[in-house]
Amino acid sequence: MELAPPDPAILARRTEIVAGLKALVPDGVVSDRAGLAAFDGDALTARRQAALVCVLPRTKEQVAAVLKFASDNAVPIVPRGAGTSLSGGALPRADGILLGLSRMNRILEIDFENRCVVAEPGVTNLAITRAVEGQGFYYAPDPSSQIACTIGGNVAENSGGLHCLKYGLTTNNLLGVEFVTIDGNFVRLGGKGGSAGGFDLLGIVAGSEGLLGIVTEATVRILPKPPVTRTLLAAFKSVPAAGQCVADIIAGGIVPAAMEFMDRRCIEAVEAYSAPGYPRGAEGMLLIDADGIQAEVDDAIARMAAIARNCGAEVREATDEAERTRLWAGRKAAFPAMGRLAPDMLCMDGTIPRRMLPFVLARMAEMSEQYQLGFCNVFHAGDGNLHPLIIFDVMKPGELERAEGFGADILKLCVEVGGVLTGEHGVGVEKRDLMPIMFSDSDLAQQQRLKCAFDGAGLLNPGKVFPTLSACVEQGHMHVKSGRIPFANLPRF
Amino acid sequence: MVVTNEAEVVEAVRDARESRRTLEIVGAGTKRAFGRPTHCDDILDVSGLRGIVTYEPEELLLTVLPGTPVTEINELLAANGQRLGFDPGDWGPLLGARANSGTIGGAISADVCGPAAVRYGRARDQLLGYRAVNGFGEAYKAGGKVVKNVTGFDLPKLMCGAMGTLGALTELTFRVFPLGERCEFFSVHRIGAVEGYAMLRRAWSSPVAATALCYQKGGPSEIVKNISLGSVHIRLEGAQADLDEKSRLLQLCAAPHELLPGDEAAIRVIGSGENLADGLEDVWRVTMPQAFAQGCPSSLGDWAGGLHWMKTTPGVDPRPSLAWSQGSATLVRASAETRKRAQVFPPEEPARAALTRAVKAAFDPLGIFNPGRMYKDI
Repeated sequence: MELAPPDPAILARRTEIVAGLKALVPDGVVSDRAGLAAFDGDALTARRQAALVCVLPRTKEQVAAVLKFASDNAVPIVPRGAGTSLSGGALPRADGILLGLSRMNRILEIDFENRCVVAEPGVTNLAITRAVEGQGFYYAPDPSSQIACTIGGNVAENSGGLHCLKYGLTTNNLLGVEFVTIDGNFVRLGGKGGSAGGFDLLGIVAGSEGLLGIVTEATVRILPKPPVTRTLLAAFKSVPAAGQCVADIIAGGIVPAAMEFMDRRCIEAVEAYSAPGYPRGAEGMLLIDADGIQAEVDDAIARMAAIARNCGAEVREATDEAERTRLWAGRKAAFPAMGRLAPDMLCMDGTIPRRMLPFVLARMAEMSEQYQLGFCNVFHAGDGNLHPLIIFDVMKPGELERAEGFGADILKLCVEVGGVLTGEHGVGVEKRDLMPIMFSDSDLAQQQRLKCAFDGAGLLNPGKVFPTLSACVEQGHMHVKSGRIPFANLPRF
Repeated sequence: MVVTNEAEVVEAVRDARESRRTLEIVGAGTKRAFGRPTHCDDILDVSGLRGIVTYEPEELLLTVLPGTPVTEINELLAANGQRLGFDPGDWGPLLGARANSGTIGGAISADVCGPAAVRYGRARDQLLGYRAVNGFGEAYKAGGKVVKNVTGFDLPKLMCGAMGTLGALTELTFRVFPLGERCEFFSVHRIGAVEGYAMLRRAWSSPVAATALCYQKGGPSEIVKNISLGSVHIRLEGAQADLDEKSRLLQLCAAPHELLPGDEAAIRVIGSGENLADGLEDVWRVTMPQAFAQGCPSSLGDWAGGLHWMKTTPGVDPRPSLAWSQGSATLVRASAETRKRAQVFPPEEPARAALTRAVKAAFDPLGIFNPGRMYKDI
């Protein structure tokens, strides 16, 4: 994947752009090399790029002013929350303003009667649960990076987590946003009563990866904490047996609160890292939560344990809350645990129909041989969302390319069996060039026309999601401002 | 013109494009009286796009053609112990059309969601993917056929409630949900709105995971003579052991009132607004934050007070009187004359209206599909 070269005309205006931003956000402009290095990428660690300049507003008025400035001066904008994107969604551009929203980190309102929280975009995911758990509530989407990742980033990426199957992704728990368009106008979409009437623009903004506008406030649903949660750990002698167990549980009409798979290599890595008590020697394991009221949890646990044993598993249950916490902490630490085994990792994110799990897992093992790169599997089994972690060393010539080739082949396989490129991490730059595998020209054209409807000049997070520049001009949307065609140096059409 | 497959839809739209004619998309025709009146040159009859494409109960996935009747889908799913989570009601009687004949494409396009949506979410939360023909005469797909997907823009959300103004749907993929092994219905009668909605909100914030949390003002005259009182209707689902525990917990939410056995019909009526069909009043659907529900002059409340059906004198817009509630009102039933003059869908401030226009142009720049059905020129 090649990133487009920066626009020299914008680079030449750097001094005036920095000065312009300092006038808007006097205490929040980072323009020195050392400062910009701190913001030079996200959790897609193989890609690094310093921004032209980074601006860190404290208020929504400043956000609107920055966007209007970018629009008036035809400078690209890359939004950033905590920089935890695994797909390079927050990867800066050498010719773009990096708009960091982490200083807008206040919870504006907690409304238990309407079961919602209103938060600025820089509030972390976990901080929302922390703010309401004293009253017995929580915010359901829980990406593993929840201690750091922000609600604004969650909205942009439509983040998932361990509990999606039962509780949905961010979009299903998002009631409203205040949103700034590239022209600097505020638009309210939805509210405490959810999205209602007219086109569901709230639904489009969620998961739009910063391509449509900037969220300055999010209203999210909070849920009553289930009174009972029980956790099962099932150890399997073979990976296909674990896959069968997943299919049987779902077919049995059970919707577990979470159902996570880890393979042998991942189990070993996590045991070496934090020793949560995983079954060493097993080829695969499932970590399963059931939550709700006592009777329904007891029933689900009994049925799932029987199904797992039927698939040849050794099953045990977490005996107390401390063990439960430890088992789940191990799962959430799978990424850093694997990180100790190799200098670099690529985490893929395809979703497949659950019945294809055994086939896809076997094919990935073959690809690993072919590419001569190790990998391990940890995934959200309940919803078929795979997270193969490819292990490589960026310092060894050719390994990054091989790792990206391996990853691309995995995602092609996901699409071939009826699945999708990304279940929760987003397209970003990482999977941008793979979009045509899943979408035809007319599919992509329709999405790009929507992008043009919000951002005719293509200034919001350009170079992300779509493999080619959107040709807004085809429908008369080409946005020419102050006589400047955006990205005049890029090939078009 | 009648179409029976996607290629014919493409052809029909290309013809309309070339001849600059407009198309009214019609399935069973049960919702033609919903929305602003639209006067199209031709009818695009999609009722022949009918049938189940794939149904995989173990994947919780259903793909259907948009002209498939909702009743047919409900029967198929129920036979497999599953359901549509958004629980679309039958708006036929309310809109003066045949009962039990509406299509799934119509339900999606009109954003018809019923009582179980309080637990499982709305149509927007369950339409995972679709195929459609846009105003460029191109067939395209969006979303995916798996339960978890963030690849590209979430266009399926946009199709829910778009009233067919963004194109002709040709295939729909849904996530479906398990149906509880058993269902139990509970009611509390002779209860005022303030108390009734407070009770519903307590149940909503409890772990009983009710699949209906409704309030009906008035009610059968032998039960309630005083119109300021009403009834609470609740549905719980699960295995027998769950239900025993859930009903105990629900009783705690209901105290000091006594839960009585309820009935399914009351909840169905609230889901479809069908008992508002009589009379000449306008009928509105209003969504609002739950905590304001008791102040809403509605006769039926759903979703623990998050959704209301209310009647008004013909031509009277209730929005000014509801401004305090942060609510959002849509005119569902009114005469064509009223719908022509009234704001059927919630009015939009200028910045949002500009986006609405741009989105319409991104899908249908020539205004071929259902022009004017939502807003002027949209």
